Amino acid sequence: MDRNQLIKWLKTPAKMSHKYSLHAVYFCTGCGIIEVPPSITARWDAERFGVVPAATPRQANLFLITGYVSVKTLKAIIRTYEQMPSPKYSVGFGSCPINGGMYWDSYNTIKHLDKYIPIDGWIAGCMPRPEAIFVAVTHLWTLIDKDMADGYKRYEKHYSAFRANQEQVLGPLPWPPLFSSRETE
Amino acid sequence: MNPQIIVLTALTGAVLSWLSGYIYSRLRDILAGMTSVILVLMISLSHGYSCSFSIGTFMGFPLVMQMNSLSWIFALTISAVTLCAVIFSYSYMHGKENNGLYYFMLLLVNTAMLGIVFSGDFLTLFIFWEIMSWATFLLISLKKGKALEAGMKYIIMSVFGSMAMLGGILYIYSLHHTLVFSKLSAFAGTYQPGSTAAILILFFIGFGIKHAVIPFHSWLPPAHSEAVSPFSSILSGILIKMGTYGFVVIIYIVIGLKTFLLFAGFRYILHVLAAMTIIVPTFIALRQDDAKRLLAWSTVAQAGYIMAGIVFSTGLSVLGGLFHFVNHAAFKALLFLAVGAVEYRTNGVRDLNRLGGLIKRMPLTFSAVLIGVCGLIGVPLFNGFVSKWMLYKSLIMGGSPLLAFAALIGTWGTVLYSYKLIHNMFLGQLPREYKDVEKAPLSMRIPMVLLALPVVLFGIMPGIVLRWLNSVIVSLGFKSIKITLWGIASSTGSVHMIYIAAAVLGGVIVALLLLSLGKKPIRIAQEDTYAAGAAIPEDKYNFTVDFYSPISKTIAPFCKDIIDTFYTKTAAGIVKVCSMIRKVYTGYVGTYVMYIIFFLAALVIVQLAWSF
Amino acid sequence: MELLNMHPLIVIVLTPIAALLAGLFFMGVTRKFTARIHWRYGPPITQPLIDIMRMFSQRPVSHGTMFHGGVILSLAGALAVLLFIPFGNIPPLSGSGGLLVILYLLLVAPLGLALSSGEGANPNASIGISRKLMLSLGYEVPLLLILLTLMTRYGTLSIYDIVHAQQETQWALVTVPLFISGIAYILILPAVLGIRPFEVVQAAQEISSGPLVEYSGPYLGLVHLEHGLTLVINIALFVNLFMGGAQNILLFFVKMIIILLAGLSINAVFPRLRTDQAVSWLWRWPALLALTGLITVMIWR
Repeated sequence: MDRNQLIKWLKTPAKMSHKYSLHAVYFCTGCGIIEVPPSITARWDAERFGVVPAATPRQANLFLITGYVSVKTLKAIIRTYEQMPSPKYSVGFGSCPINGGMYWDSYNTIKHLDKYIPIDGWIAGCMPRPEAIFVAVTHLWTLIDKDMADGYKRYEKHYSAFRANQEQVLGPLPWPPLFSSRETE
Repeated sequence: MNPQIIVLTALTGAVLSWLSGYIYSRLRDILAGMTSVILVLMISLSHGYSCSFSIGTFMGFPLVMQMNSLSWIFALTISAVTLCAVIFSYSYMHGKENNGLYYFMLLLVNTAMLGIVFSGDFLTLFIFWEIMSWATFLLISLKKGKALEAGMKYIIMSVFGSMAMLGGILYIYSLHHTLVFSKLSAFAGTYQPGSTAAILILFFIGFGIKHAVIPFHSWLPPAHSEAVSPFSSILSGILIKMGTYGFVVIIYIVIGLKTFLLFAGFRYILHVLAAMTIIVPTFIALRQDDAKRLLAWSTVAQAGYIMAGIVFSTGLSVLGGLFHFVNHAAFKALLFLAVGAVEYRTNGVRDLNRLGGLIKRMPLTFSAVLIGVCGLIGVPLFNGFVSKWMLYKSLIMGGSPLLAFAALIGTWGTVLYSYKLIHNMFLGQLPREYKDVEKAPLSMRIPMVLLALPVVLFGIMPGIVLRWLNSVIVSLGFKSIKITLWGIASSTGSVHMIYIAAAVLGGVIVALLLLSLGKKPIRIAQEDTYAAGAAIPEDKYNFTVDFYSPISKTIAPFCKDIIDTFYTKTAAGIVKVCSMIRKVYTGYVGTYVMYIIFFLAALVIVQLAWSF
Repeated sequence: MELLNMHPLIVIVLTPIAALLAGLFFMGVTRKFTARIHWRYGPPITQPLIDIMRMFSQRPVSHGTMFHGGVILSLAGALAVLLFIPFGNIPPLSGSGGLLVILYLLLVAPLGLALSSGEGANPNASIGISRKLMLSLGYEVPLLLILLTLMTRYGTLSIYDIVHAQQETQWALVTVPLFISGIAYILILPAVLGIRPFEVVQAAQEISSGPLVEYSGPYLGLVHLEHGLTLVINIALFVNLFMGGAQNILLFFVKMIIILLAGLSINAVFPRLRTDQAVSWLWRWPALLALTGLITVMIWR
């Protein structure tokens, strides 16, 4: 772990603090959530990495979508993602958000989560082990270092496209658009 | 300014505004307001004036009016709060019936209270006391319905108190053949235990009923909550304190400090009653759902603080008690007026379970309630803190830690019910039915600002009022206390609000600097709040009902109002006995003839039996 | 360590900064120590600082002026109390009215938080604040009795005099009539600090962190700073009142760490009591002990 690089801390304190303080929204969806409690308890201690479950999305900056996404859950996921303060990072966990996974031919699940929510990284597996979560976290650190974890910026830039996709599945959304088209200029 | 001129002006203003109401209602409002303003000015100009006038005789008793420092501070508070209530009434009572009677009675109560504090002998005091009580009764039961029951409860207890007081006055007259204060104070210190105890008990009943000390408090909660809001503010703010004035007169002017200190047993009972008056109503207020009833129970508790200060009989405690009287008038009147403004705008809703979120619609009223609540709790930099600090210090240093504990835990109970009041009315989710509530009208905002200013000003610079009160306690026989502009500077512990103010200001600057390091916030609507990813249910996403449910069971034993039950049961018992006796009057002439025949027969039998 | 020779203004400026850093350090020690008790490694001690820096770099949402102002007021209240508590040989602001002022200034911080989170229009916040106030009523009963016992025993309102009296004789914790109150204070210390078994206010799983539910970004950072300050203030109050303060700030710090670790040992292994359980327990045994202590002191004179 590269915590001790003082020069990096002095030059870009915000980025370094985002790396080592990833508070994850404790959003339990699908099958993958069963892998999260072992990783935050004593055996695979996620707190060493700075990863702690946050009580509400407003206090979090990491969103772990752990498993298949049904249409009903998609609404909750979009609301939760929009309530998180930016900069924020979202990680798809398991095969189902990547391409539908085990439920590739179901009428009720979302096959490509990337169309509705910007995803910074995927963890493949059905279910991935807790060690995979830590590998993902270290990869996310590298991405943050290289400024490649810009999901939240993509969301703001292409908000109309994301919203069109969301409305295609969910129908007219009851909440107003998060960004007006003027803000993205 | 002579006191009789002031009282006469008040009376003339009352009569004129009533009569002018028959001509044109606006004229009545204007005259009422002008009277109040003139009174405030007249009283402020007579600062430091000390005099005594005889205004005639009544059945051979001389009537005297006097002005001294004690009267002056009471009179200033009375006229200031009345002015705010009169201005508030412009919009509150607009278009209601019986307005002429309302304004006349309001100004008559004002006159009577000024008469009480300017009276120089007991007979004048009693005359004005009765005028005040009866005018208050008419004002409390103005709205009829439940207000009439509340008014009946009030007037029965008040008349009982007045009769006790009359008994005390007659007893004093039988002892000394004079009722004038200045002559009576010469007799102070020459009393025997029996007669002094009788005087103390009789006058304690009389003034205690008005002051709503436990066990005489039952009339206060219904009366204050059912009266119209501007009059509730006068009731809670200053009418109760006429009992305080009476206590001060009896204990320190008539009986005298030295004699009072000899009555350790009676003082101990008074301490226990004061402690109960502080604690029990505080816990009862926690469980109230009606905003005005909560404030009414709060008034009972704060009156307990003032009484604790006055009967503890040290210079600092009396100073604290009198200062708490001034502070309580300011913040309690402010709270009642603000609750009245909310009640006015929401068409009579004062049920705390139904309101919420009004901070977005009535920000000035919220600020008024916030300032009032901070004064009530005693947050530093607001006026309640200084008076409570003085009370606590005198209780702790005077060797009465249990009474100090009662006072301190009363403050924590106050925090709880004050937060319930401000949260259930202004914070939380705004219900759909109040989405279009407008701000309070101008004539309601002016008195709220006028009353909020002293709460903040006397909190930071308490020396302004404390200097006036210092001369009061010197006149009552205590040693003078060193007062500075920012607080008290005595050798056994001082308080200077300037340090606290500077510390808090420094803290605010540091917090602002820290916040400026972060990014600018995005303003969002109340529907965009956390609900675990679900949609916010409108009108239902609010926590107001049963706000303190976990401890309701624990404190329920402390909240049983045994005394009120006792009074109600006694009243019901008397009603039963009287209706049984009433059955004698059957309304049937035949029975009456039978009564007459039986009585004559009994007389004949007795006559025959006697002659043997 | 010749702090007495420093200009008072420098002391007033340095004390809050030192207390903020100490608060962050205490929070870091909390997480590390609790982790070690759980047989895991835990985050580094600087983790709270990293968390706060991350929070400050996020863009928050605000629900209104009271929301914004309440958070500022809460931190301001916590910083203001600091200046009235002696830390080692650093004298507090004098002429300040002593323990009563501290007791009342301690009200300002939770009040600011209560008003601000109320405007968030979230019932979780309202429930959290009502629990906090009820828990405060619970521990205030024994706490007030303990403070009154101390004030009666030493015959003064000023915390500075109490500290000096103890430094001349011995710790109040081992004095004969006062050790009863000392034990009562140790029993209520977890409630005052807000740690388990009295952590009902910020029950993360039950009410979504209670009053903190709508705070994001710098607001959350300020609230965490205030939490750290509250830890420092309450532990410092206990050390001053019952362990005789200290002759210099380093020894004072050591005493605070000992008390913190003792409290954390309880925090790591206890579950959370419900509010009514907590309040009825606090009004029973600690209050009884404190009342016994007060009556003993009243008779002792």
